[in-house]
Amino acid sequence: MGQTAATAPLDPLEPRDLVAPHHDDKSLNETLLDHVWRKPGKGWFMLFGLTLSALGLLVIGVTYTLARGIGVWGNNQPVGWAFDIINFVWWVGIGHAGTLISAILLLFQQKWRTSINRFAEAMTLFAVMCAGLFPLLHTGRPWFAFWLFPYPSTLGAWPQFRSPLVWDVFAISTYLTVSALFWFVGLIPDLAALRDSSKTKLQRTIYGLFALGWRGSGRHWHNYKIAYLLLAGLSTPLVVSVHTIVSFDFAVSLLPGWHATIFPPYFVAGAVFSGFAMVITLIVPARKYLGLRDVITDRHLENMNKVILATGLIVSYGYMMEHFVAWYSQNQYELWTFYVNRATGPYAGVYWLMIACNVITPNIFWFKKCRTSIPIMWVASIAVNIGMWCERFIIIVTSLSQDFLPSSWGIYSPTWVDWCIYIGTLGLFGTLFLLFLKFVPAVAISEVKELQLELKHARHNSHGAH
Amino acid sequence: MEATVLDSWVLAEFETPDVLVDATRQMREKGFQGMDTYSPYPLHGGSEALGLPPSKVPFIALCGGLTGLTTALAMQTWMNTYDYPLNIGGRPLLSLPAWVPITFELSVLFAAFGIFFGLLGLSRLPQPYHPVFESEAFRTASTHGYWLSVPHATGQDASAVIDQLKALGATQVTVVTGEKE
Repeated sequence: MGQTAATAPLDPLEPRDLVAPHHDDKSLNETLLDHVWRKPGKGWFMLFGLTLSALGLLVIGVTYTLARGIGVWGNNQPVGWAFDIINFVWWVGIGHAGTLISAILLLFQQKWRTSINRFAEAMTLFAVMCAGLFPLLHTGRPWFAFWLFPYPSTLGAWPQFRSPLVWDVFAISTYLTVSALFWFVGLIPDLAALRDSSKTKLQRTIYGLFALGWRGSGRHWHNYKIAYLLLAGLSTPLVVSVHTIVSFDFAVSLLPGWHATIFPPYFVAGAVFSGFAMVITLIVPARKYLGLRDVITDRHLENMNKVILATGLIVSYGYMMEHFVAWYSQNQYELWTFYVNRATGPYAGVYWLMIACNVITPNIFWFKKCRTSIPIMWVASIAVNIGMWCERFIIIVTSLSQDFLPSSWGIYSPTWVDWCIYIGTLGLFGTLFLLFLKFVPAVAISEVKELQLELKHARHNSHGAH
Repeated sequence: MEATVLDSWVLAEFETPDVLVDATRQMREKGFQGMDTYSPYPLHGGSEALGLPPSKVPFIALCGGLTGLTTALAMQTWMNTYDYPLNIGGRPLLSLPAWVPITFELSVLFAAFGIFFGLLGLSRLPQPYHPVFESEAFRTASTHGYWLSVPHATGQDASAVIDQLKALGATQVTVVTGEKE
């Protein structure tokens, strides 16, 4: 069967199928604002109940920790960092995909980002909020957390700025602030659209307050376009710096398994890897139930799977390098950590799960069939999230539990409080996400409309040329 | 107290963004000053049609970034070198490489604040009330309408402006009055 003109492969650089072509501005409004005005269905309430119950676990876990101290966690000597740091790094990593999608793809003028950036940025914000909880609680007395900031105190002491943990404080709080600003700036035109299409006076007042009086004036857009682009430009190196600094928490120490120069790029790639996987995990059900298939097309999902494949390969390369350097240095502690302890030690199960999820799973995306199959990519994305969690577990726990002196080795196992707090942050994330889906357009409407116009012009021009 | 009516605007809606940009340019060539366009997304060529000077946002961002840079370097140097020196294994008290991460983060943070507040300041936001919101039809400006506002002095006859706008393709024209911003 010969290929006809209609099925001929499209030029990959042409953004043809990013928005279903039958839409105009008015119908896009209806499609994209619909889920805000519509009363949430049974499914939403069921999910909300589920995430709220998980959030309850967080309340229980945190209250118990505050009342009894962090001795109720499984952390011990020698494993002083465990679930709290694992989950912290995991959540921060998940947050990174949002910024990458918004910022880097904007700078590279990748048109396909417009449909998913709002969604991904919201994910960033909520993930970073969850991440922040862990180091805060790990201080033991979180009500004194402000000691980490340089403020003129009666103690007459300043923070130690040569410590990676103080770098972390600055990196994470800057990241949260800039992500929130970026998200909000992107949201302003859509809040104005919500204000102007609201049906009751109350809705109009609330959305009007948040829209700050935006009226789409040419003078406003004139400043807005450049401001948005600059914020994107700032966020891009910010993402790289944040996870680089997080990796310094480990890399500047001398512990076998941590003391590696590959850590900064390898952590950044791992963050993108798990972040994109989380976007797939969330977007696949959301686009179905919110009716967003016209703007979040199969092409978007396929592109994200390609990013997962690429970053998965970088992560695999990171593992290879860790092992290679351990062998090449012939340092007996490094050799023990990488070739004996991790692969055959007490946590070997987690190690091999990590290899299966992070090294083997992404390779299925070499095949177009897997990249475009919804069930396959959804399962694979969940596997990647699990795999990246295992990676952080392996890095932290295996290195700490068995380092230089066998006399000071110890085994770590999490307690119910650890699990409560971890599952609780999943609940917090889910709750915030469901509220976001209910009250704010999940897709950047003004950007999709602009793209739609560009596509129309492009179509018109190409028809004219033929 | 009764609000003093200071000014009024003629608001015209156009069918497509291209017609709006075209009409704006022609009106400006005819000598109309202080016009503004309203659209749900940025218009291509809109800034040029309005004859706007380059935005000041990048300059404000640069100032913010430099402020952050200086603040961070000064803060770390003073705090850890002079006011509260910590000798850890004889390492240098003034260690610039160790200052890099926080200096970078604070530069980005201050630049981002510069961009955000610069955007709000230059656009004179937040401004929850503006006379153009009086027009019910104008509500489409944030969803699917393309509008042009032409200011004109109160008491003058608006019909000449309205006729010109209609000739340029306006589908509907309204006049709003209110306090000048």
